[in-house]
Amino acid sequence: MEPPVKRNRIDDSINSITIKNQTGIDNLIDSIINSKNQPQIILGDEYYQTLPLIKVFIGHVKQPKDISKLFEILNDKLPLKHLLHLKRVRKKDILLSPVSFLNSDTQESIQEYIERNIPEIKDCFEYFREATVPLTPPLTRKQYMENLRHWSLNFHPNHYIETIMSDQPFKQSEARNHRIYMALTFEIVKWYFNIKSYEDILQSDFSAAVVVDPTINSVVTLAVDNRHEHPLQHPAMLAIDNVAKTQEGGVWKIDIDDTLKEDLKEKFKIQYGTRSGTAESPYLCTGYYVYLLREPCIMCSMGLVHARAKKIFFSLDTPLGGLKSKTKLQCIESLNHRFEVFTGFL
Amino acid sequence: MVDHMRRCLELAAEALALKEVPVGCVFTVNGQIIAESKNSVNATHNPTRHAEINCIDQILEYCRLNNIDYKLYFKNVIVYVTVEPCIMCAAALNNLNIREVVYGCPNDRFGGNTVLDVSNFYEQNYILNGNLLADEAMMLLKEFYKGINPNAPESKVKKDKKV
Ligand SMILES: [Zn+2]
Ligand SMILES: [Zn+2]
Repeated sequence: MEPPVKRNRIDDSINSITIKNQTGIDNLIDSIINSKNQPQIILGDEYYQTLPLIKVFIGHVKQPKDISKLFEILNDKLPLKHLLHLKRVRKKDILLSPVSFLNSDTQESIQEYIERNIPEIKDCFEYFREATVPLTPPLTRKQYMENLRHWSLNFHPNHYIETIMSDQPFKQSEARNHRIYMALTFEIVKWYFNIKSYEDILQSDFSAAVVVDPTINSVVTLAVDNRHEHPLQHPAMLAIDNVAKTQEGGVWKIDIDDTLKEDLKEKFKIQYGTRSGTAESPYLCTGYYVYLLREPCIMCSMGLVHARAKKIFFSLDTPLGGLKSKTKLQCIESLNHRFEVFTGFL
Repeated sequence: MVDHMRRCLELAAEALALKEVPVGCVFTVNGQIIAESKNSVNATHNPTRHAEINCIDQILEYCRLNNIDYKLYFKNVIVYVTVEPCIMCAAALNNLNIREVVYGCPNDRFGGNTVLDVSNFYEQNYILNGNLLADEAMMLLKEFYKGINPNAPESKVKKDKKV
């Protein structure tokens, strides 16, 4: 970790980026709150990638009336096994098997294979050809649509995934809450570190955290970066400890300035409070949303897994980030807790 | 080396007696123990208070009080811990550029090497060695997960410790 080096603006060459970077911090905060864009989820790479492809043999059928018979015989003699996302038949084409299914040492052709093993259908085909088809099932409608040109596919859209990956994953009122809580992280950093512009944000590595209990739309705790004094006291780690304090625990004696808390309450019309001590007293960060100005590092990301936070939101990527940049801890299946991660506030 | 791990096992047994996940840890410089701690997640209601994090905190406080540059100090630290550091602790130890970690048994649930190899993400890495008194470390963990059953005898742990 480097100490914060506040550099002066290197040059004043006018282009759109420098103009955006010179945006005053208050304008930036306003634009976060009033943006029409919704935060976007960060899922595993498999949801965004183009599907891997494999080569298969296709048989072009002579007589359409043979298709249903061929369908049954082939499902019995040449089952598709791991390729059940592929339809067996498209018009007069029938999917036979992956090319790799034939023993490459013997150099047997698909025609010879059928003549030898399924002689009852050997005369049903006009010709055989190879085609390229997706190896794995489409996980999203987008992947489905992109791959239809290869072959007909079975696809059962996951409605939750489709909604959460859409431009509008949240209700308008909910999206506005996310933006307000994210704006708080910028306001906190502005207050503590004399941040004046977007450029100042980009030139520093300061971050802040806001923990929210969405069931009562209330701020549970706030935290601001202290990593330059104490290398463990990143905002997420401090926030987790602050949450512990609301549950009669906690270790670190550091808190957000009371005046700032009051100012934030006034300016952003938020409320503070927890369900701790009630019948629904939360366990650790279970059910809580955590808003961070920057993507948490790997230490903090895993801390948030340990804390069982429900959703994580961040604005800026960080080089050693654990939720997008270096790795996506939210995608490791074996971890006993998983949360959803969103970005895209700027 | 074995003596340091024995001390870690004592600390882990203390954690177990307090119904914490039994993990104990010592930080050493030049063979001398400079910090020691155990998992204290339940006591603090803070799920990040692992033995390693507690030790790091102790050393940072020591450095602060004695005007020592912690960045230089951690470079010479060798960590002994009964269970492979989790992803969080492994990242923290990488951030601090410590020299070496010696652990007892692997951490199949959260390990910063076993579950996700955190060393891939950092340019400088500490040396990682495992399987020192692994059976003892594992026994304590098993005792704990068995002990989630409230009828499990608590005194047995303390006797085992002396073996
Ligand atoms: Zn961090
Ligand atoms: Zn740990």
